[in-house]
Amino acid sequence: MLIEFICNGKSTAVEARADMRVLDLLRDSLGLTGTKEGCGRGECGACTILLDDEPVNACILYAAKLQGRRVETIEGVAGKDGSLHPLQEAFLEEGAVQCGYCTPGMIMSAKALLAKNPRPDVAAIEEGLSGNFCRCTGYAKIVKAVLRASGEEMRGGAAPGEEMRGGAAPGEEMRGGAAPGVTT
Amino acid sequence: MEYRVAATVEEAVALLGDREGSRPVAGGTDLAVVIADGLRPPALLVDVSGIPSMRGIRRADGGIAIGAATTVAEIASRSDLPACLSQGACAIGSPQIRNLATIGGNICNASPCGDTLAPLVALDAAFVLLSRTGGRTVPAEQFFVGPKETVLRPGELLVEILISAPRLAGRSAFRMIGKRNGQAISQVNAAVWLAVERGVIREARAAVGSVAPIPLRLRATEALLTGKAVRRLDVQAVLAAVDAEIAPISDVRASVEYRRLVAASLFRDALAEVAEAAGD
Amino acid sequence: MSGENLRVVGTRVRKVDGVELVTGRAKFTGDMKFPGMAYGYAARASVPAARIKGIDTAAAEAEEGVLLVLKGGDIPGPNIIGILPPFDQPVLATEVIRYAGESFALVVAESPEAAKRGARVVKIDLEPLAPILTIDESLAEGARPIHPQGNVTYAKKLVKGDVEKGFTEADLVVEGTFETSHQEHGYIEPEAVCAVPSSDGRVTVYASCQSPFHLRGHIAANLGVGAASVRVVQAYTGGSFGGKDDVATEIGTLAAVAARRLDRPVMIAHEREESIIGSNLRHASRIAIATAAKKDGTIVARRIRILLDGGAYASESPFVTVKTLVHVAGPYRIPHLHVESTTVYTNKTYSGACRGFGVPQATFASESNIDELARRLGMDPLAIRLKNALKAGDANATGQTYEGSVGLVQTINAIEERRSRLAPLPRNDERWLYGRGVACLLQGISNGAEGVDVVGASVQVSQDGSALVSVGLADMGQGARTVCAQIASEVLGISLPMVTARQVDTDSVHDSGPTVASRTTTVGGQAVKLAATEVRKSLVAMAARMFKVDESLVVLQNDFAMLSVDANARIPLRDVATAAYWTGYPLMNLAFSKAPDAVFDHETHQGNVYIAYNYGTHLFDIRVDKHTGRVEVLRHLACHDVGKVINPMGLEGQIEGGSLFGFGLAHMEEVLFRDGRIINANFADYALPSIKDRLPTEAMAVEDPNPTGPYGAKGVGEPPVAGAAAAFANAVADATGIRFRRLPITRQEILLALKAKPGEE
Repeated sequence: MLIEFICNGKSTAVEARADMRVLDLLRDSLGLTGTKEGCGRGECGACTILLDDEPVNACILYAAKLQGRRVETIEGVAGKDGSLHPLQEAFLEEGAVQCGYCTPGMIMSAKALLAKNPRPDVAAIEEGLSGNFCRCTGYAKIVKAVLRASGEEMRGGAAPGEEMRGGAAPGEEMRGGAAPGVTT
Repeated sequence: MEYRVAATVEEAVALLGDREGSRPVAGGTDLAVVIADGLRPPALLVDVSGIPSMRGIRRADGGIAIGAATTVAEIASRSDLPACLSQGACAIGSPQIRNLATIGGNICNASPCGDTLAPLVALDAAFVLLSRTGGRTVPAEQFFVGPKETVLRPGELLVEILISAPRLAGRSAFRMIGKRNGQAISQVNAAVWLAVERGVIREARAAVGSVAPIPLRLRATEALLTGKAVRRLDVQAVLAAVDAEIAPISDVRASVEYRRLVAASLFRDALAEVAEAAGD
Repeated sequence: MSGENLRVVGTRVRKVDGVELVTGRAKFTGDMKFPGMAYGYAARASVPAARIKGIDTAAAEAEEGVLLVLKGGDIPGPNIIGILPPFDQPVLATEVIRYAGESFALVVAESPEAAKRGARVVKIDLEPLAPILTIDESLAEGARPIHPQGNVTYAKKLVKGDVEKGFTEADLVVEGTFETSHQEHGYIEPEAVCAVPSSDGRVTVYASCQSPFHLRGHIAANLGVGAASVRVVQAYTGGSFGGKDDVATEIGTLAAVAARRLDRPVMIAHEREESIIGSNLRHASRIAIATAAKKDGTIVARRIRILLDGGAYASESPFVTVKTLVHVAGPYRIPHLHVESTTVYTNKTYSGACRGFGVPQATFASESNIDELARRLGMDPLAIRLKNALKAGDANATGQTYEGSVGLVQTINAIEERRSRLAPLPRNDERWLYGRGVACLLQGISNGAEGVDVVGASVQVSQDGSALVSVGLADMGQGARTVCAQIASEVLGISLPMVTARQVDTDSVHDSGPTVASRTTTVGGQAVKLAATEVRKSLVAMAARMFKVDESLVVLQNDFAMLSVDANARIPLRDVATAAYWTGYPLMNLAFSKAPDAVFDHETHQGNVYIAYNYGTHLFDIRVDKHTGRVEVLRHLACHDVGKVINPMGLEGQIEGGSLFGFGLAHMEEVLFRDGRIINANFADYALPSIKDRLPTEAMAVEDPNPTGPYGAKGVGEPPVAGAAAAFANAVADATGIRFRRLPITRQEILLALKAKPGEE
């Protein structure tokens, strides 16, 4: 079938099987290889794209679902003139990129988060990125990068008399904040 | 496999009734795992995710009707739904999964650890099923017959989930635990619902997931709670009742011993949250 | 070139390959497209042990889109891969299946789907054998030999002093046996290769890998051609951690054979399940320790027996066996040691290199035992470690001494200094148990006893004053390219944006062995420094002529040649470079850094084994939920002696990432087997840490310069894994009062143990 949708702001039409994975449609039919495959089961988040501004896993999305909708991939994040988005700058500045394979998906999730919640706290960042795995960085610099991009310095205090360097607040309260329903 | 997008319920049930080996799909999040595991995909997939009448929440007879194709994300974000249901929805997967997954999909996949299932059983939800030849409404408790097995017949489509007015009026809570903090599949989950009048539990509902082949309603535990003062519960007796009713197994996710222990903790926490809220 | 006044080395610079990664432009192997590209997918055995009676590929060949089906006999060369002798692993099994998931055929087709369909219908006739699935079964009397030479993969001893004497001199002995389970690397990019044949008879293999030269060697041997006919180009690699060594040679060989047969490019990109089942794991271990000590806490002797479960093939088991052997006694001054380390075969996915290489397993066992010793003596856990800590001039477990760069005590002191300023942990309450754990570690840097330790690098300066750096070691995300660019930039005075550091291309740099053992900065960086220094000589000589001064007055900095005595005298480096070229000075150098040979007795492992060690101390503060077993990490301090910090951001990244890797090993992750098959080969049931499981790591560095590393640097890629795993286990023991002797210490294990403890309700 002919799938017509907006891709990174451009009207796009692709002839594809309805049950083609959007991940393959983007990578093979459109040559947009920035979206990665890490698991094929919607578990790792490396394939995260935005569908009408919401993050979804492209590896479990069928092409038919794109009809008439808006898709954004990592290729659409930087400015048309090549200027980097604040998130991309922040990831570089904070050292939140090591091997870079999880990075496109991570940035898409972060972008969606900041669009809804421009000044997220650490708990909201963790919740927003909970569907993106990283094996290299330990996540600390990724959290810092999102805070930086949101214009916020690292929140969270140290115990009195203690200086903090790097890392998140050690605090007494539940670090990361339980989502409702998760046992504390 | 063939893939057709249905615009209406009528179109969907017609397609499902016509073809042998056809299945409805909405978010496709569970289906993707099935296919990734190398199991045979259905011959025909009927995409119901865009059917307007199957999305959203409407008032119905004083209660509510939730469209089966309503996304888990939407259910997680609403403050006007029973707490146990939105908390359960919150616990599913990741933001990406929740944006695609639907409550209908979670129900029809019928995994014993499905996080909306124990809440729906605790809320006495009813599932509206339609087919080409007619419709029926099945109480949640009777819908599940085994792991990944439901009473759905070929050609039948779950279109709505009904929650009655009395069940909306009580207070509820949900708890789960998995192997990690983020994107965790439930090793055990628990939902508790109480209707409390002047400090006394008039009615109680309790259901626990992943401790039996189906999301398990705990009738004996409910009976024990009924009529008790919510602020002076004999929690040990309640947990003993829970332990007596559940029948967990060991599997790749957890051992039977751990499930027993943690079911008690989760139940106690859920009960405490509801008792706190209901006692106001 | 002294360590003072460094302008680039030691500063926080952005990754040189960062922009293409954050924009998604970087092409990983699976992103590549070549005209006519075909796809390979392996047929794999689903039983753990069997004799192969026959393989029937007819149905697969008939499948639409299938171009070719390879069996072991179709491989022109010996059909063997393996990192080390005994080279016991076939590329495609032909006679015997030794683990569930082993490949026995490769289907090549026009599309990945067609290849997968074809692989499903390759028929294999098997005579199942009773699988050997545990260390004990493998070593049992009369056990079926998994390989002709028996079930012991490798066994070595370490003997120092007289351990019998040591035990008689001691006041007490503390014993314990500790186990760890198999860990999966879990890199987010599964393995992938793409082999592209060219009309000159060569084949270029793009690969997500960490040992491009291993790859080249095995591909060439199995193709039956000379190594010069094969070119391996390392693609952007999405993490490796030791897991993309053997498997890259397996699929690289298969892709190359298929590519030559079809005269078309062939891509093999693993799915996640294949990645977990079909590539190496971390060795599971059982380590029995007896430590003899004096009442004052001085450790006098240790007797240790290590058993490692290495799975179906040797892979890097010999190295892991030796590394565990050498490290298990810990970073302590102990006069008498007797250690045996044995790896055995089992019918499971083979184990091999995995970040830490046996040291995390050894450190968990050793540090748990030291903790128990401290408790028996009523000694503070840091104090007992300080008392026994190695210092410069002390003989370590192999009897090797170092004049410097033994910064363990500094790391202990740094942790102690922080600890002394911390408010006391809260008291236990109805819900929470609070605890603190520490651990010390050492990790030998570079290959050491494992083999020749050489790295080649080239530095080329062009007439426009820009520089190109090539190193034989792979950047798998750890920042090798950035560190090498920084070093070249520092030496040459060329600004970082004007320095390009390439990924490895086996055509253009000396065989540098594998990128393992945290050797990138130490040995790799040293090679870059040597090459850059030679080129610098040409630039300085030319500039001196242009200034008409003595060479000693010339300074290269920020793309200029300047005079140390006159700040206003400057010539742009591009002018210097152009003049140097036209005058005939060489502007390219190929350098070769060879670490001093490891010279030691192979029976006792006494002698010089590693050029340097990284030392560290970790501290965890945790609280444990008595009702669910959940652990919250309140604080994590990780202090490492890295010799010299080349890139602070990179250093933090390795410590933060490595610590979470070790935390996963200790608390969350386990590859689960049932009847010899992995049953959690996905990220849902294999508990890879999510962002919500991350640690509040504070990375701290101590600099005690290492004379063999560039600017004194030592590697730090692996050491945090061991430190975090061991310190976490000790924190759990402190919080719960229960000594857990098996990793992972999951929520489930904690809750069950708490409930079983007498006195718990």
